[in-house]
Amino acid sequence: MHKTLALLGFGLAVPTAVLAHHGWGSYDAAHPITVAGPIETLKYENPHALITVKAADKVWTVTLAPTSRMQSRGAPPEFVAVGKMVSAYGYPSTVEKDEMRAERITVDGKTVELR
Amino acid sequence: MLHEAPQFLIALEQSALASAIRQSSWAYMTANVGHILALMVFVSAVVVMDARLLGAFAAAPPATVVRPARRWAALGLLLMAATGFMLFTAEATHVASNRVFQIKAGLIVLGILNALLAGRLLREALDQTQAFEPLPTAARLCAVLSLTIWFATAACGRLIAYF
Repeated sequence: MHKTLALLGFGLAVPTAVLAHHGWGSYDAAHPITVAGPIETLKYENPHALITVKAADKVWTVTLAPTSRMQSRGAPPEFVAVGKMVSAYGYPSTVEKDEMRAERITVDGKTVELR
Repeated sequence: MLHEAPQFLIALEQSALASAIRQSSWAYMTANVGHILALMVFVSAVVVMDARLLGAFAAAPPATVVRPARRWAALGLLLMAATGFMLFTAEATHVASNRVFQIKAGLIVLGILNALLAGRLLREALDQTQAFEPLPTAARLCAVLSLTIWFATAACGRLIAYF
């Protein structure tokens, strides 16, 4: 119990500069964008898979879906492997710079819905 | 963003346990579902306990309701802490810096303090009060505080995802 309280206490003391990217609330749905380019990195992890995409303008961090949903929608790790060309339609983060959340992605002519 | 977080949170997030939770196809999902199921156990016990303190179920001597309900609440809280720790670990630096999570953590501390205080304050009254007899004002105050704090905690829990 004391350890739990101590940990919670630490939580209160943490700086607040960075906000979690999670859910759809912190994305600007009014301004959808499409990010296209080669996948540079892949983190096929929960709570959301993440890829970085080298687009024409800059490198975007693209937040995908929970891995179980990715799997069931037909987007296993191989589908979004490093080096593949991806086109991601989604919404830019209102919190994190150069991050967007993908509504759907297209790889090798196949489109997968992620919401 | 990792470099902005305290060292112990970075270490926690990069631990083998945290990686395992993120990379497992079921661990995070299971913790998430478990957290909600534990919440149901916890909040139902809390509501029964606090309702009795507020004067409901007056035909039952308060101790016969409050004490067993409190044990169920403690079990629910323990399960919430265990599943919550799994969820927290996977994204420790992000979650800890989330303002709503910080408020939630503060509320949990307050809720536990209120519960511990109520346990001490109301021990005698629970031992002595019979069915249909009123409990002291402190009992109602603790119950209102408890309900307010825990419902606010639950709301914050859901809101972490949107801030």
